[in-house]
Amino acid sequence: MKLTQTKHFKTFSEPLIQNNPISMQMLGICSALAVTVQMKTAVVMGLSLTFVLAFSNLTISIMRRVIPRNIRMIVELSVIATLVIIADQVLRAFFYDISKQLSVFVGLIITNCIVMGRAETFALGNPPGLSFLDGLGNGAGYGSVLVSVALIRETLGAGKFLGVAIVPELVYRAGYENMGFMQLAPAAFIIIGLLVWLQKTLSKE
Amino acid sequence: MSDNLRSIFFAVVTALVCSLLLTAAYSGLRPFQQENIEVDRKKNILKAVGLLEEGHAYSHDGIKAMYAENIVCMRVDAEGRVMEKGAGGGKGLPIYLYRRDGEVVAYVVPINTRGLWGKIHGYLALESDGSTVSGFTVYQHNETPGLGGEIEKEWFQKNFKGKKIVDQQGRFVSIGIAKPAAIAAMDAAEKINYVDGISGATLTGRFLTAGLKKILSEYEPVSIRFRSKEMLRVPKGSAACGESQ
Repeated sequence: MKLTQTKHFKTFSEPLIQNNPISMQMLGICSALAVTVQMKTAVVMGLSLTFVLAFSNLTISIMRRVIPRNIRMIVELSVIATLVIIADQVLRAFFYDISKQLSVFVGLIITNCIVMGRAETFALGNPPGLSFLDGLGNGAGYGSVLVSVALIRETLGAGKFLGVAIVPELVYRAGYENMGFMQLAPAAFIIIGLLVWLQKTLSKE
Repeated sequence: MSDNLRSIFFAVVTALVCSLLLTAAYSGLRPFQQENIEVDRKKNILKAVGLLEEGHAYSHDGIKAMYAENIVCMRVDAEGRVMEKGAGGGKGLPIYLYRRDGEVVAYVVPINTRGLWGKIHGYLALESDGSTVSGFTVYQHNETPGLGGEIEKEWFQKNFKGKKIVDQQGRFVSIGIAKPAAIAAMDAAEKINYVDGISGATLTGRFLTAGLKKILSEYEPVSIRFRSKEMLRVPKGSAACGESQ
């Protein structure tokens, strides 16, 4: 059997495009609006969520047979919250400036529906290996949308890529101006809408 | 009953494991975070006096070296006199002097005040004439991102530069934050004491205005000494303000 046909590969790859948590399931939109002004914050947020999601899926999947049904959501939430706080503390220790820019949004991963959703629908019913891959896939799917939106917003809004100016001075002198609207949250809303439209049109064919 | 017991047992074990992990992460990473906070604080003092270029990335060591070279921290008593070494038992108000060739160019007042959702920490730098603001920065706050949180942004902070904390007769009035429309209605003499507020963050502005007024009036004795040109040289033999240099 080819690698692309295996169950493990499918678990990882499906949430990347076909079943992307943001553009197909419409989850985690709030943070996608807030942290996509710059590439740097988008990448860090994507990585943080992937870390939390993969390890919460793994942990919950390992415990899935022993978690008492009646308190399972509370247990899931404590696992997620613990991971989020650890991620936040690590960012504060090693990426202080970025963590200041992300402000509350790393902490708010706790309330990100993707994390709880994957724990409930996938990790509770699948073995640890698969659950871990599912977490990685969904995190990467979320991160890839964030990065695409941030790429558009940073390029058009600030003329920069990862903080380095890419629009030459000459163009500005010729009358080009940065699009201030791209710096505001509604811009992300419109870009995500366009991405969803694009994806749905392409996947029909 | 045994089911309930099992749930309780499981919950207790989960809570225990989670708190152990959090304690480990918190105490293990604390030294790194402290270092970051310390450097960030120094960076903000340097930014308030206008030593940092915008958009330039500075290394930790670069910030520390620049701080050691330009800034000296000391304590002043209630009459605005610089306190001697060992005097006052660590009491007094901390103040940061920006000196160049032995002369004081500006002094920085730490701002710790109440915001809408939590404490706002920052610095207000005043030129050595004791009345002109040379910069304002915020390094820690809990205000809402996009609304009150904008106080940490350059566009808001740069409005403070050049404003005065005294009126035209030289009397202390502090510096306030007001709606742009309200400022437009003021006469020219009054405008110099106000900066444009943030729309959607009226309360944050109000708290900050009150906090600045309270803090600046505590520091008014020092400012008076600056205005009467008594503080143009860095006083010798004065106590450090107790921060780790």
